[in-house]
Amino acid sequence: MDVVLSAASKTLTREQPLALPSFAEAVEANKAMVFSIAWHFIRDRAAAEELAQDVFLELHRHWNTLKSAEHLVFWLRKVASNRCIDAVRRGKLHRVISLEESAEPTALERVQDPLLSAYLERMVASLPEKQRILVVLRYQEGMQPEEIAKVLKMNVSTVKTQISRALDLLRTKTAQRLRQQKEADTR
Amino acid sequence: MNDFEKQLERALARREPSSDFVLRVMRAAAAEQQSNRGRNSLLERAGAKWFRDRWEAALRFAPVFAALVLAAGGAFYQHHEHLMQGEVAKHQLLVAMRIAGEKLHSAQQQVVSIGAEQAIN
Repeated sequence: MDVVLSAASKTLTREQPLALPSFAEAVEANKAMVFSIAWHFIRDRAAAEELAQDVFLELHRHWNTLKSAEHLVFWLRKVASNRCIDAVRRGKLHRVISLEESAEPTALERVQDPLLSAYLERMVASLPEKQRILVVLRYQEGMQPEEIAKVLKMNVSTVKTQISRALDLLRTKTAQRLRQQKEADTR
Repeated sequence: MNDFEKQLERALARREPSSDFVLRVMRAAAAEQQSNRGRNSLLERAGAKWFRDRWEAALRFAPVFAALVLAAGGAFYQHHEHLMQGEVAKHQLLVAMRIAGEKLHSAQQQVVSIGAEQAIN
């Protein structure tokens, strides 16, 4: 009986939406997510921080419309993604930042191959806007295509196709790069 | 997920913004809230002033407005009275014409009956 009750309460807890934290807690808990979406999209630390700040100010204005912690994360991902695309489309972020020029933010986890990782980051930033945001949401946030489709209001099949195309492009470019590097090393 | 995707996942690991990021956001949010409050109270004050000005203007023009309403009402009443008098006169004329017609008809019948008697005699 206890086992049944415990299982039921677990199911209930899982299905119940998590309570909304305070605004300050929400900023603290989600700052890395929002900033990283912007950073991987535009690769300009100052612009990414400004964009992330704008997203949180927008959140502050819409605070009363949010229903749960899940809704909060969904809302932040949606607004951050749309703002990144809008900023690039409006030509607000026309300045191209080279990797050497921009200060590298502290990584939360240690990367295994720093050179390849840095190269991949640059490659992601050079993808077309839609493919870029899809790759960021898929591999930074670990979101499933269905979730991404909801956030960006796209077809699931389009999301899958675009991610697959982006991966092909990244794979080809990375292979080329590694080949060039190997040739240079042998010389 | 294959090796390339895992590598991509590692490359796109989350980064931390500046250490003062939260503080800056909270300050900006507080400043925005403050300016909104100021703007709202300014709007309220502006709105109240607008209504007060209109109300005072309305009070100033109230006697003129009342006089205009009375004059218009009087003119309408006079016009209505005039129409009613015309209707009564028309009705009286019709009644008089009907009576005159009836009298003429009976006189004509009498003349016809006298003529017939004389012809028999």
